[in-house]
Amino acid sequence: MINPFDEKILEEAYDWVQTNQKVALVTVIQTWGSSPRQTGSRMIVNEKGDFSGSISGGCVESSVVSECIELLKNDQPFKKIEFKVSNEKAWEIGLACGGEIAVFIEQIKS
Amino acid sequence: MKIETLKKIIENKKKHFKFSIITDLSTGETEIFEKDLPLNEKLEKYSKQINDFCESKKNGIINNSNLFVETFVRPIKIIIVGAVHIAQYLVDYAKNLNFEIHIIDPRGYFASEKRFPNVNIINKWPEEAFKELETNESTALIALTHDPKIDDPALKHALDRRFYYIGALGSKKTHSSRCDRLKEAGYSNEQIDSIHGPIGIKLGGKSASEIALSIISQLVLITNNR
Repeated sequence: MINPFDEKILEEAYDWVQTNQKVALVTVIQTWGSSPRQTGSRMIVNEKGDFSGSISGGCVESSVVSECIELLKNDQPFKKIEFKVSNEKAWEIGLACGGEIAVFIEQIKS
Repeated sequence: MKIETLKKIIENKKKHFKFSIITDLSTGETEIFEKDLPLNEKLEKYSKQINDFCESKKNGIINNSNLFVETFVRPIKIIIVGAVHIAQYLVDYAKNLNFEIHIIDPRGYFASEKRFPNVNIINKWPEEAFKELETNESTALIALTHDPKIDDPALKHALDRRFYYIGALGSKKTHSSRCDRLKEAGYSNEQIDSIHGPIGIKLGGKSASEIALSIISQLVLITNNR
């Protein structure tokens, strides 16, 4: 079931692009176990690392922000990343709650 | 995602209908799916699955594919009767919850645009006002005037149209006389019991903002348990 109390993140993404910012849009495309944010949750990130919205409860945001900055710098159109507890870096960037998520990062092309 | 696609998605959201967007995770291309509109050649063979996602209001990846589908649902329509102080706080709380709000109040001095900027205010008696609004089982009514002349016709409309949430402000005594009037008008006990009165969950507060919070909490609770 989708949350009807949907956020206004896409509208915000559009506003950011209108002010000449490069914007990466992050979407949760898959979850396993007890991940805090459901599929379809979103976050936007600009080149400076400013971000809005969320894709976890704060567990992987910082790592995703770095990935987004890199994507925007390299002018890469998109990439897919999975975060798992089995990841070696789990203690650093993994989901403390034990869940796993896959996110899709894409650049908004103006 | 292309900026044009993003713009179209935002426009669709404003029109308040159900639609899906499909992102090809292998190419990064995004397509918009609207019911009864054809899909492009590449997506056509998945049209049944895409339609299923859209109908069941789901998000996810279609099995054995690289396609991620996200469905946007119509926001829930709330009709507030009575442009009173509590309604101002309700509008504030509801802003972040993606409700579509309409306010009915025949009293012009209450229902002014200054008091309710960017909200659809219908300055008419409920019987007339409801002619301008499409209502159904996905609509909620919050009656706040505790004036039978204004609240009762709205409550009757909501009961007739089977709104999923009907709440009415007023003390236990006010609500009890309201129930008597509805009974006299021919409504069943079951229908009358479905009205949340006195409205809201018990938070213990008495200020306008606290009452508004208790009403919006009850509405979210009922909406999520539907």
